[in-house]
Amino acid sequence: MSNVISVGMADLKVAKAPDILMTAGLGSCIGICIHDPLQRVGGMAHIMLPTAGGSNGGNLAKYADTAMDVLVEEVLRLGAVKTRLRAKIAGGAQMFSFPGKPPVLKIGDRNAEQVIIELKRLGIPLLVSDVGGNFGRTIHFDVGTGDLKVRTINHGEKVI
Amino acid sequence: MEINQIQLDALREVGNIGSGHAATALSTMLNRRIDMSIPEVRAIEFDKAPAVIGNIEVPQAVIYVKVEGDAPGKAVFFFPLQSAEILVQALFGTNESFDLFSNEMAQSAMKEVGNIMVSSFLMALTQFSGIPLQPSVPALAVDMVGAIFDAILLEDGVLEDTVLFINTQLSGLPQIEGKFVFLPDEGSLSKLLGAIGV
Repeated sequence: MSNVISVGMADLKVAKAPDILMTAGLGSCIGICIHDPLQRVGGMAHIMLPTAGGSNGGNLAKYADTAMDVLVEEVLRLGAVKTRLRAKIAGGAQMFSFPGKPPVLKIGDRNAEQVIIELKRLGIPLLVSDVGGNFGRTIHFDVGTGDLKVRTINHGEKVI
Repeated sequence: MEINQIQLDALREVGNIGSGHAATALSTMLNRRIDMSIPEVRAIEFDKAPAVIGNIEVPQAVIYVKVEGDAPGKAVFFFPLQSAEILVQALFGTNESFDLFSNEMAQSAMKEVGNIMVSSFLMALTQFSGIPLQPSVPALAVDMVGAIFDAILLEDGVLEDTVLFINTQLSGLPQIEGKFVFLPDEGSLSKLLGAIGV
């Protein structure tokens, strides 16, 4: 039996197969999923903003640049091997657009950019991403198989 | 910033006057009585904020208006889909069903509702505080309410640990329920409180 473990906003969790990690209602936030396919363990972070920008203390899972190290560390603690880690990401939408006002540095895009930078820094290959658009996403990540199910209200459901 | 009880009471009163005006505006638009509850004012940790609005995965129609002026903030209306549809039907005087995901006429009607209600809310707030405030053009999203709300909270790329809600419940037409939330930006709250002398 697999358990579905819920990851909240600015939260991160790790799990072993056959458990599923899920986070609901990603808007401009991003769900970062990493796993080791041989060890069959993985983790998910629900980040809200790109960089902590000097605000220390606080919740590390809130920012792309601080969440990733914690996520990797916790997955390694479950037995993952760093060189085998791979990533999938989803989210980073822009839910609103105001007519006549070009959005200055959309937060969803900035989040996605920063996540990609952090993955590169840590040398974790990004297998697939489902980011952008103007719709929300709920994701389920199977830490054993690495399947990432992306559910939307009006833009279908897929496994990436 | 820390908010004391007197300030909370003052904000509740400000919210009450503002939402009273907003309800009157909607009543006039629909030619029916619409009530808004006495607002609940509270500071909530940001990660608990979406849950205040309802089940985060369930779609709602959300109208978002930016408040511009000397004490900027965000004004947001949340309507469950069924309520939004009834509202649109009441506006158009029809029983026809509307798909809010795609029907542009229904979408602009919803935006207009937001526009009129927020304008009235802000007019009351300006009269009360002496701080000039104007609404932006309204924007609408129909989607998972959690996704919409996180995008609103994070839009400016900053996030305080706590979010101040001035939250009021809308009722009147049978089966219509909705929520109005006013989120002052960080510096705005002290300006508003200063202007009303608490």
